[in-house]
Amino acid sequence: MSSDVVLVIVVATALVFDFTNGFHDTANAIATSVSTRAMSPRSAVLLSAVLNFAGAFISLKVAATVAQGIVESDDVTTTVVFAGLIGAIAWNLATWYFGLPSSSSHALIGGLVGAAFAASGASAIQVDGLVQKVIVPGIVAPILAFTVAGLAILIAYRIVGRLRPGPVNRAYRLGQLVSGSMFSLAHGTNDAQKTMGIITLALVAHGDLPADSFDVPTWVIVSSATAIALGTYTGGWRIIRTVGSRIIKMDPAQGFSAQGSGAAVVLAASHLGYPLSTTHVMSGGVMGAGAATRLSAVRWGVAGNIAVAWVLTLPAAALIGAVAYGVSSIFGSGALGPVVVSLSILGVVLAFFGRRVARGQVLTADA
Amino acid sequence: MTTAAIDWGQLFELVWAGALAGVGVSIAFATLILGATRAADHRRADRGRVASAYVVLGALAAFAFAGSVVFGVYVIVSK
Repeated sequence: MSSDVVLVIVVATALVFDFTNGFHDTANAIATSVSTRAMSPRSAVLLSAVLNFAGAFISLKVAATVAQGIVESDDVTTTVVFAGLIGAIAWNLATWYFGLPSSSSHALIGGLVGAAFAASGASAIQVDGLVQKVIVPGIVAPILAFTVAGLAILIAYRIVGRLRPGPVNRAYRLGQLVSGSMFSLAHGTNDAQKTMGIITLALVAHGDLPADSFDVPTWVIVSSATAIALGTYTGGWRIIRTVGSRIIKMDPAQGFSAQGSGAAVVLAASHLGYPLSTTHVMSGGVMGAGAATRLSAVRWGVAGNIAVAWVLTLPAAALIGAVAYGVSSIFGSGALGPVVVSLSILGVVLAFFGRRVARGQVLTADA
Repeated sequence: MTTAAIDWGQLFELVWAGALAGVGVSIAFATLILGATRAADHRRADRGRVASAYVVLGALAAFAFAGSVVFGVYVIVSK
C-alpha cells in the first residue's frame, strides 16, 4: 500500500515536472517568432504545443537513457527519483520567476545527482559521465551558438542587405515558422521522453513492469505528451519576454539567424550523439545575432544573469534534490516522507502564486 | 573537471559540423530570398534572362534549405 502511494506521487511529480519543462522551454521555440511578429503569441504557443504533443509520439529511444551514465542505476530508488524531480521543478519555477532561460534537462540531472548523493554518497555519481554529458555540452552550446548565429547574420546581411526590406522581412518571418516548428518537434520528442523514462523506471522499480525490457506503456506516452503540450500552451511568458526582447531588440533576419542556425546546431549535434541544451543554444544564438551587428546591442547585464543561472542550475537543483531526499527520509522509507514534502512544496507554491494571481501580476500572452 | 572524460575528437567534430550546419542553413535561406526577390524585380523590368538566372539560384537555395529541413526531421525521428 505504502509503495503504491509513493508510485502515484512519483508519477504525479514527473507529470508536474513535464508541465514545467513545457512552459519553461516554450521560449526556445517561439520567443523570436513572437518578438519579430512572425506569429501572434497565442498562435505561436498553440502551434508549439501541438508539435510538442506530436513529437512525444515519434520516438522512445531517449526514454531508456534518463541519467544513464551519470548516476549509478542501482542507487536510483523511487524516493531518489521523487527528490530529484522536486529539485528540478523548484529550480524551473525559480528561474521562471526571474525570467531566466535555463536548461530543464540539466535541472533534472542536477536534482537526481543531489538526491542520489544524499542517498548513497559520492559513489552514486559517475563524474566522468557528468563532465562528458552535462558540463562540457553546457559550456560548448552557448559559445558555439553565439559564434554561429553571429556569422550567420553577418553573411545574411551581406546577401540580402541591398534588397527591399518588405519582402525580406516577410520571408524571414516565414522562415521562423519553419525553424520554430523544428524546435518544437525536437523538444517534444526529446524532453517528453525524459518524463516517460522516469515514470517507466518507477513502474519497473515498483514491479509493475518487467526489468529486462524497457516498454513504455501507452498511458505513460499519452500523459507525458499531454503534460508537456499543456505546459507549452500555458507559455512561460516571463522567459519568452527575456529571450524575445530583453537580450536584444531583433529584426526578422536576426530572429531567423538565431533560431534557424540554432535548430541546425542542435540537430547536427544530436545526429553526432551530443546532447546540447536547446535553451543554451537559443539564448547564445540570440546574443550572437545581436553582438555581431553591434556589441552594445546586447544587454550584457541580462546576458550575465542568464549565464549565472546556467552555472547555478546543476548545483542548485542538486542541493534542493538532496534536501528533499533528506527531509523525506526523516519520515522513514515509506510514503509519509514524499507526502509531507509534496504537500509542503504545494503549500509554498499556492501561497506565493495565489497572492500574485490575486494582485494581478502574472504575465500572460496579452500582457 | 577531469579532461580524460572529454572526447576531444567528438567535440571537434561537433564544432565544425554545428558551425557548417548553422551557417549553411542561414546562407541557403538568404540566397533563396535573394533569388526570389531579384527574379521578381528583373521580371517586372522585362529582363527575362537575368530573372531566369535568379530563379535558378533561388530554386537551388530552396532545394538546399528543404534538404536541411528533411534531414532535421530525419534526425528527430531516428533519435
